[in-house]
Amino acid sequence: MHTSLKTAKLVAEMIGCFVTGILPRPKELIEATRVYERNRINQKALEEAFLEGTKKVIEAQTKAKLSYITDGMLKWQDLLRPFTKNLEGLRVGALARWFNNNTFYRRPLVFGALRRTRSIVAETTYIGLLPKNLPWKAIMPAPYTFARLSENKFYKNERELMFAYAEIIREEIENLAEVGFKYVQLSDPALVYTPFKENVPKDTLSDIKESLKIAFKNVKLRTCLQTFFGDFSKILPEALDFPVSDLGIDLYETNLEELKEYSFDNKGVALGVVDARSSLLENERELLNVSKSLIEAIYPSKIGDVFICPNCDLEFLPWERAEQKLRVIERVVEILRSEEASS
Amino acid sequence: MNKLFPTQEIGSLAKPPWRVKAYRGEPLTQEEIAEAVEWGRRLGIENTEDLVKILTKHEKTPEDRKAILEWAALYAIRFFETAGLDIIFDGEQWRSEMYEHVIRNVEGFKFLGYVKSFDYRYFNKAACVNKPKYVKPFYVDEFVFARKNTEKVVKVPFTGPYTLVDWTFNEYYEREAASQTRDFKQRKASARREFLFDLVKEVVRPEIAKLIEAGAKWIQIDEPAATTNPSDEEMRLFVEAFNETVKGFNCTFSLHNCYSNYRVLAKYACQLRNCNQLALEFANRDNLQTGIGEIRVGYRELRIFEEHGYRGNYGLGVIDVHTDFVEPPELVRDRILHAAKIVGDPDRIFVSTDCGLRTRKWNVSFEKLKNMVLGAELARKALG
Repeated sequence: MHTSLKTAKLVAEMIGCFVTGILPRPKELIEATRVYERNRINQKALEEAFLEGTKKVIEAQTKAKLSYITDGMLKWQDLLRPFTKNLEGLRVGALARWFNNNTFYRRPLVFGALRRTRSIVAETTYIGLLPKNLPWKAIMPAPYTFARLSENKFYKNERELMFAYAEIIREEIENLAEVGFKYVQLSDPALVYTPFKENVPKDTLSDIKESLKIAFKNVKLRTCLQTFFGDFSKILPEALDFPVSDLGIDLYETNLEELKEYSFDNKGVALGVVDARSSLLENERELLNVSKSLIEAIYPSKIGDVFICPNCDLEFLPWERAEQKLRVIERVVEILRSEEASS
Repeated sequence: MNKLFPTQEIGSLAKPPWRVKAYRGEPLTQEEIAEAVEWGRRLGIENTEDLVKILTKHEKTPEDRKAILEWAALYAIRFFETAGLDIIFDGEQWRSEMYEHVIRNVEGFKFLGYVKSFDYRYFNKAACVNKPKYVKPFYVDEFVFARKNTEKVVKVPFTGPYTLVDWTFNEYYEREAASQTRDFKQRKASARREFLFDLVKEVVRPEIAKLIEAGAKWIQIDEPAATTNPSDEEMRLFVEAFNETVKGFNCTFSLHNCYSNYRVLAKYACQLRNCNQLALEFANRDNLQTGIGEIRVGYRELRIFEEHGYRGNYGLGVIDVHTDFVEPPELVRDRILHAAKIVGDPDRIFVSTDCGLRTRKWNVSFEKLKNMVLGAELARKALG
């Protein structure tokens, strides 16, 4: 790595970590939701179980020394649901497959103009349980993914829906900044998930950039566009021009050699080095080597901020395994920092 | 079959509370026992007092538990027979669930716990931690029992290898592949392939061989995950796995796939070898008015299979398994006639439910199946 350009200490400080999506519900919470479904416990008991589960997943994140903490989003039935349920102009539609997973979400059915009448993410998040001494991260669906996954019966086209939703996101982010969040991630799997090898057209990429401009207008928080389930290199170089602080990359779907051809100069990266869709615990030394070779390649002259993270939502795993993967992240970051400090 | 529009079910039927609770060793209520007796009477099952004796026993022996499975299977067989179906099985009464039943009976797997399917629904997901090893038959006993207890054509539902692999974490092969390739994406792909074909060779084919040896003539490969990964590479992998699964066996094979992407499946259907029938779901996408033609919106994708040159038979889903609405015989008839017109050859249509009926109560399932049989009869008459 070109450490000569930076002091070693500065480099170490530039390596962080976080989770990138919904965490799995711990066993006790799963059990509570199941008995709730059979009418054997009431809403209050279910709520208590969510509180306990949330405490547990927050504690695991702080223990793993993550740079930003989320509440785990255990209440989120799917990435879109708090919006599908709470925005005016939307209805909760039929079940549909969540990309290429054995997991399902409910399609947002757009039947009117989107309007935000409440603080959606803030009200869905257990803000009171987030640690006061650590920075908080919020996660939302990106405008493009939201528009792609919706059934649009109102707006002229997907592009208009995307812009309308971007406005909502901007209002949400303003609100999140007010209540104390420091980092906001927009999850954009649809941007890279292209099973039929159809790349997102260039003019769509430019529309996406516009939608992100709307979403992040006057935003003071650190921002990330997290992609997963697909090859990030397919949206290069355009993505380097997106108005975000960090770009999130799924290393289990991305052609890494292709990625290394580009210089990320003024952008941070969130490297999805831990595979949330596999229960196998990764070899830390290997993750370290992959991360280092990538960092070296994409920052040829000036190192940017690097976050070590799971490639997608850890909710694809049972909680115990997700927790173990958090520890893998912790150790990779530790070694990466110490090696940089001593290099 | 000689008959036009033979009727069939897909596989599962709800497990009655007496089957579930008694098998677990839990006490039954009077109503639950009465339900067993009443259905026994409706289905003309003899000696139900023997069943009641077992159900009311405080301590159940392993023989009692086995007997409960047999009773439940017998009930399901009579259920389908009484409804008038031509092709039947035992409602999968012996199986805990289509995925768990297989995985628990094969070596090399470990259940890791529940993961979210959607909302408050989860599934118990296993990891392959060692090379899969066939240790004992897992479908043969139930097939032999069903074969012995009916004169009807028996079709054995068999959870397909592609689905088993897609629903399982792949620890063993991913670890093995780590030494071979540094590229994460390639590594996962090659590990998946290894896992799939090992499972076909080590587990699926040996079980099929045993079923055929025991007299099975028709095996339905259930692959709900077939189009989960709709890319060309994955679809070709799915086709290859199916073809490898059935290769060289002297038996009729069919494929059941539901709640899927039929535009994708249709493209590859022609490449399935030795696949006598595609059992597909359509009724749930359709509207409820009678008529033939444009009105049958649920059956649009049938045309795509034809356009791609598929010329095998269809298990045509005419009964929605996710609603309690009982399809009138006339609606069933029109769905059949509409499909027969698209396909051009009525002999290629087998009349079917969209999927297994396990989420419906028995009385609803029974009415639905009865009307399916009546609808098939009306369709036969309409074609003279």
